[in-house]
Amino acid sequence: MSKALSYQDRLDRIREIKMIQTKEKQRIYGTDGYWDMDDKGLIAPPESFTFTPESDQDDGEYYGAKMTGLNYRKLLESHPVYINPMSSLAGGWMYSFYDIKKPKWDSRIDYSFLHELQEKYDLVHGIGGIQHFNVDIQMGLTLGFDGLLEKINKYEKLHGEDKKEFYQAERDVVLGMLDMIRRHAAAAKVMAETETREDIKENLLKMASVNEKLLISAPETFHEACQWVAWFILFAVMYDFNGAGGSIDKYLRPFYERDIKEGILTEEEAVFHLACLLVVDNAYYEIGGTYEDGRDRTNKLTYLVIEAAHRIRIPTSICLRVHDNMDKGVLELAVKYLFEDDMGTPSFLGHDAVVEGFMKNGYPIELARQREKTGCHWCALPGREYTLNDIVKISFLAVYDVAFKEVINDSEHSPSVERIWDSFVKHLSIAVDTIAAGMDFHLKHMHKVFPELMLNLLCHGPIEKGLDISNGGVEYYNLCVDGAGLATVADSFAAIKQRVEIEKRISWEKLKEVINNDFEGAENIRLMLKNIKRFGNGDSIGDEFAKRISETFTQLVKEKPTPEGRNMIPGLFSWANTIPFGKKIGASANGRHAHMPISHGANPDPGFSDGDTPTAMAKAVASVQCGYGNTAPLQLEFDPKIGATEEGIKLIVSFIESLFHMGGTLLNINLISKEKILEAHKDPSLYPELVVRVTGFSAYFASLSEEFRQLVVNRIVEG
Amino acid sequence: MEGIIFDIQRFSISDGPGIRTTVFLKGCSLKCIWCHNPESINSKKELQIVSHKCIGCGNCIAVCRNHGYEMIDEKKVYYKDRCQLCGECVSQCYSKSLQMSGKNMTVEEVMTEIRKDLTFYEDSNGGVTFSGGEPLLQSLFLKELLKKCQSEGIHTAVDTAGNVPFGSFMHIIDYTDLFLFDLKMMDREKHKKYTGAFNDLIHANLKKLVQLKKHVFIRIPVIPGINNSKEDMQKLIEFIKNLPIDLVELLPYHSLGGSKYESLAIPYELASLKTPTKEEMTEIGKWFKQANINVKVS
Repeated sequence: MSKALSYQDRLDRIREIKMIQTKEKQRIYGTDGYWDMDDKGLIAPPESFTFTPESDQDDGEYYGAKMTGLNYRKLLESHPVYINPMSSLAGGWMYSFYDIKKPKWDSRIDYSFLHELQEKYDLVHGIGGIQHFNVDIQMGLTLGFDGLLEKINKYEKLHGEDKKEFYQAERDVVLGMLDMIRRHAAAAKVMAETETREDIKENLLKMASVNEKLLISAPETFHEACQWVAWFILFAVMYDFNGAGGSIDKYLRPFYERDIKEGILTEEEAVFHLACLLVVDNAYYEIGGTYEDGRDRTNKLTYLVIEAAHRIRIPTSICLRVHDNMDKGVLELAVKYLFEDDMGTPSFLGHDAVVEGFMKNGYPIELARQREKTGCHWCALPGREYTLNDIVKISFLAVYDVAFKEVINDSEHSPSVERIWDSFVKHLSIAVDTIAAGMDFHLKHMHKVFPELMLNLLCHGPIEKGLDISNGGVEYYNLCVDGAGLATVADSFAAIKQRVEIEKRISWEKLKEVINNDFEGAENIRLMLKNIKRFGNGDSIGDEFAKRISETFTQLVKEKPTPEGRNMIPGLFSWANTIPFGKKIGASANGRHAHMPISHGANPDPGFSDGDTPTAMAKAVASVQCGYGNTAPLQLEFDPKIGATEEGIKLIVSFIESLFHMGGTLLNINLISKEKILEAHKDPSLYPELVVRVTGFSAYFASLSEEFRQLVVNRIVEG
Repeated sequence: MEGIIFDIQRFSISDGPGIRTTVFLKGCSLKCIWCHNPESINSKKELQIVSHKCIGCGNCIAVCRNHGYEMIDEKKVYYKDRCQLCGECVSQCYSKSLQMSGKNMTVEEVMTEIRKDLTFYEDSNGGVTFSGGEPLLQSLFLKELLKKCQSEGIHTAVDTAGNVPFGSFMHIIDYTDLFLFDLKMMDREKHKKYTGAFNDLIHANLKKLVQLKKHVFIRIPVIPGINNSKEDMQKLIEFIKNLPIDLVELLPYHSLGGSKYESLAIPYELASLKTPTKEEMTEIGKWFKQANINVKVS
């Protein structure tokens, strides 16, 4: 008989298998951007698998709760079984339900009254936006799948005929889930029959019994709870790319402590289950933070989650909340593994800044402390808040471009920076109003197009009221409005101010000419505009404009709610939109060539100074925070050598603390040397395992599109 | 009061404890052949030309009142002897091919830069380090800076090669929390050969400094073929082991300064030298440890 495998042996095998799957995905979908986002644990489906949704429309499409529920159930009932015998958790997702749905919007629900302005300012308006809010996983763990079913049946009886379709749809989703779990339990048993390795056989039998249990009751043990979370996250990511995983060290804690006390779980086994969970889908989990009363919430599980990510070494999206009263040990461990593992994980959240910021919307501190970081750059209350986080964006560059042209083409008045500024503010205000109207429109109609059937289940209100979360199902509506391209526009204003107005090195006519011609034959002027003291230096004209833009934007978003009275929260962030936002706009006065990307998040542009030191970047980003609880993240590239010593780790820890003492909200760190990233950029297929911290998430470098790879490379090489 | 500075580096993490800002003062009384900051040696401003960045716009030729540049066979020629270092060409060189090394700054101007990272000094127990060149060649300016830093609660370190009259030390000694004191080698003749000066004054200064109970880190650059032999290191160990210093730091030679020599049109004699390996550095570190010296290997 072969020797039983240790938990670490099994994790190593799981990681090997994941690498094979990743390479397979890169082969099938190409190494050119099949996945400009987090890896999310997708497994390429067998070629034989097909799924075609049913339609109730003449045009072959489907809209609304009834058909969405039916189709999702159908997908779950036909989805292939995936069991990795090394893992303690069953399941793997192969299909993206929302992704294959087309069209995404019902064209009969007309918002052409907004089109002109949406196009004029190139707005990412959020109409038809999905998920991007947070669920209450703790509620799911309490109820279990069968409990959710009971809850649906119970509230259905309290409502009339008009809600029948909604409840039936929710029931279809749960029934679909139960079917998939049932098939996995059965498959695990069958696999166990032919398994010759005793320990693996035992694992499969255990897996089968855990899943059988979840069919009929809520989870009781740590293992069952992990499997429950794995299923929910898997079903939710498959439904519409949900990535919210909640405060994992909070909701799993009671299970852990109980099992440890009863002696049915060891620390080592707990780490193993957590690592298996991260493999099923690396959702956005947060750890740390405080209780509602402000006491530190760090516990054993906080450590174990970090340990699990370290043991499995795949891209994950864990975020550690940092505050002054926290157990420092967990921060030190997180930084140590960040450097040791090269996975860009975890990210760090400035707990105090986001809590105090959220309170400024008129909420009590106890509520603010419950808001969890469960997305790329965002927080939301678990199951009680609808947010449209990260999917509503205003490109400052598009607005600036309108203003610039308006002023420079005005033959009656002579141009000035202040005139461009006034025009910028005027148009930004219209853009914010257009966004607000669009979000109201979305909230009126989204439930008729594609309701949040999966996520409703773990929210407080939708099932009780029979209302989709996008249709008034929950208590709080705090809608995210992000500004994008801060550095690009701040530096453009600054360049004109310095070179045209103060130094008079070129005339307005010349400026207009070179920008219209995309600096053709005027490289010298381009460099003159580019090489000013840009945003990031701390006391430059660029910094002044960056602060001014952030303050003005914040004021415009906060001065009034949406026409229907919903609160909006400003932030500064863009990743996925940096390329498309740039493509639409010609050359800009910061020396940016036509159609090139806009700046990332709240970061200064790479190369803003000699050396782009981390302290300068941190100060700059801390100085432009909007301050209402949504983030303006800092993305940093560090040379991996810094963390090679204990001293270096301490330095980074204190650096992180300083950033948050200055009001920073979120920090993502990427560790890679210039040499390595340039080497990998030449032929990414030779580096299928290279993981980079892209922004709020980490991803396989080779899986990004060339344009996004270039952006990552620029940051590291020019910075 | 003004001094001449050639660089201010924030997030400096290898010039003393914590996160620091390092202020580099221009001018040096040694001329070590391995120096990775060749622009630090001359105490006056210098024009640096990074040829590969030139886009051929011709601004420099057009603005120079002294005809310091000419185009000859489609190649730009710079006449150093005609140059008055006025900096006009640098301000018009947007590709940053021309750079002026050295800038006159007032105490307050330097302080403005230093204060930018106060939060980081506080959280990391860091501070400011004055390096060079030889910062003590501008000891009165340095004194004013150090005084100002101390009065604002900023930890101060001075990185010195020690080759100055002890009187210069006396100006700053009360305002300096930590000395980073460079030692190269014990052999007098060799020291003269490679650095341009004998080491007697340096050693005497170090002894006086420790007698005054100042905190001192000794920093030794490890240069292959020049001071990395067991014999050279043993002599250093013999000298150091009886001195009450806090720490010895061993710094591996690196060739990053090579391109700077090119930009200054100074010949670089060590072009083919390799950086010592980690193993080699660790081995040298062991020798120090065996003598009970608190050593850190970078």
